[in-house]
Amino acid sequence: MPGDHRRIRGPEESQPPQLYAADKDEAPAARDPTRLRPVYARAGLLSQAKGSAYLEAGGTKVLCAVSGPRQAEGSERGGGPAGAGGEAPAALRGRLLCDFRRAPFSGRRRRAPPGGGEERELALALQEALEPAVRLGRYPRAQLEVSALLLEDGGSALAAALTAAALALADAGVEMYDLVVGCGLSRTPEPAPTWLLDPTRLEEEHAAAGLTVALMPVLNQVAGLLGSGEGGPTESWAEAVRLGLEGCQRLYPVLQQCLVRAARRRGAAAPS
Amino acid sequence: MAAGFKTVEPLEYYRRFLKENCRPDGRELGEFRTTTVNIGSISTADGSALVKLGNTTVICGIKAEFAAPPTDAPDKGYVVPNVDLPPLCSSRFRSGPPGEEAQVASQFIADVIENSQIIQKADLCISTGKLSWVLYCDIICLDYDGNILDACTFALLAALKNVQLPEVTINEETGLAEVNLKKKSYLNIRTNPVATSFAVFDDTLLIVDPTGEEEHLATGTLTVVMDEEGKLCCLHKPGGSGLTGAKLQDCMSRAVTRHKEVKKLMDEVIKSMKPK
Repeated sequence: MPGDHRRIRGPEESQPPQLYAADKDEAPAARDPTRLRPVYARAGLLSQAKGSAYLEAGGTKVLCAVSGPRQAEGSERGGGPAGAGGEAPAALRGRLLCDFRRAPFSGRRRRAPPGGGEERELALALQEALEPAVRLGRYPRAQLEVSALLLEDGGSALAAALTAAALALADAGVEMYDLVVGCGLSRTPEPAPTWLLDPTRLEEEHAAAGLTVALMPVLNQVAGLLGSGEGGPTESWAEAVRLGLEGCQRLYPVLQQCLVRAARRRGAAAPS
Repeated sequence: MAAGFKTVEPLEYYRRFLKENCRPDGRELGEFRTTTVNIGSISTADGSALVKLGNTTVICGIKAEFAAPPTDAPDKGYVVPNVDLPPLCSSRFRSGPPGEEAQVASQFIADVIENSQIIQKADLCISTGKLSWVLYCDIICLDYDGNILDACTFALLAALKNVQLPEVTINEETGLAEVNLKKKSYLNIRTNPVATSFAVFDDTLLIVDPTGEEEHLATGTLTVVMDEEGKLCCLHKPGGSGLTGAKLQDCMSRAVTRHKEVKKLMDEVIKSMKPK
């Protein structure tokens, strides 16, 4: 980058070799639209963060860490009516600061470090989906920092980041109403548009529309929804949301197991 | 009770251990933490490696792209290292542009690449003056518990050994490059630089492979980068307490032993991976 004197300079611009490759991309193979890729989840693996989680689903690898609660910068004063259950009034509630980063080597093309608008949009989506699950009223004037790092993008990156962030928050001992489970969907282009659950990167690239659903499984409430793409009839979007919610419910037992194992490990490591 | 003493007087706490020639985590003064390395786990990168030195975890991913060679060296390619210390590795880092420590680490890695000639930049040139490879080496720290420089150097070396570049030919008629993604070849790695870091306590005692707390309490640090045949590539001593010549010699001999250990580990890992 021309003005960036904090990083080692490279060439002004560069192109990936794939642009010059002779063979074309293959179209994604047909598959069962409701299949979920096997997930590997592990919580409590970073020593410096209060809570952390690593999630691997197919080719998507996401690491998430939580730190805090710390004193919020620029916390306002003010009273107001106290909420139910002895929580702080609305003006004093805690904040959740989310940060989403892609590693430069996570996609097909290298992305230079200052992320840009997309990362900010996804960070905001993360924050909006996690807020309903965390009891922020119990952390007055404090902020919790959640940072997600995408090591490899194999499809449904936002969904994986959501799940990892919720696991990391639970691992950090933050008070929550419920976990948040994320699931990605994508719609194949005409002809015969079908919604595919948990798309791979190839399927996402060839898709006409994409959707990410975040569900709180026990309360059975939708925490977040982010979708874009070519419009179809509203019934098709409603069907997609239903498919996504089913996928989230199927994923929940794996995450429960992961947290139980992490708690056992923590208990075994610190006998005092 | 020990935990209380440690919080109030961390330096005294450490001195008690150092007097007995050992450290709180049970290591000797010259002992390294358990080192593990995992090569080739990121499939979107052309080469990748994950290194764990005790708790310190560092991942290096390398992506190769095409670029026009620099005007002052038309027969050379580029190697662009970048060390990133994100807020997830430790609470002392904030998100935003690279802080001082990240910049120092990036410059250190760039110096190591330059001085050790790990890759001849001329090998990266495809067509003089027109096309060459640029290797973007992105090193991200996932867990910061001291001794970042050693872990980064090791991760970089392991990732470079894992990089496979596709074959490129220049079509004479059109002048465009033609890439054959099916035929890939490894890079020609000429040397194996291995870094060894030390921390200086109270201007006299040297300990190897400091953890995060030890680095914080130390009065100085030193990093020695050794090559095969005991050749010194790089010596990084950013201020701190002075060292006598004899102590420096000790450090260098320890670095030579460490080089052998690391080389053995890497060769084992690469051998176990070869059939692909």
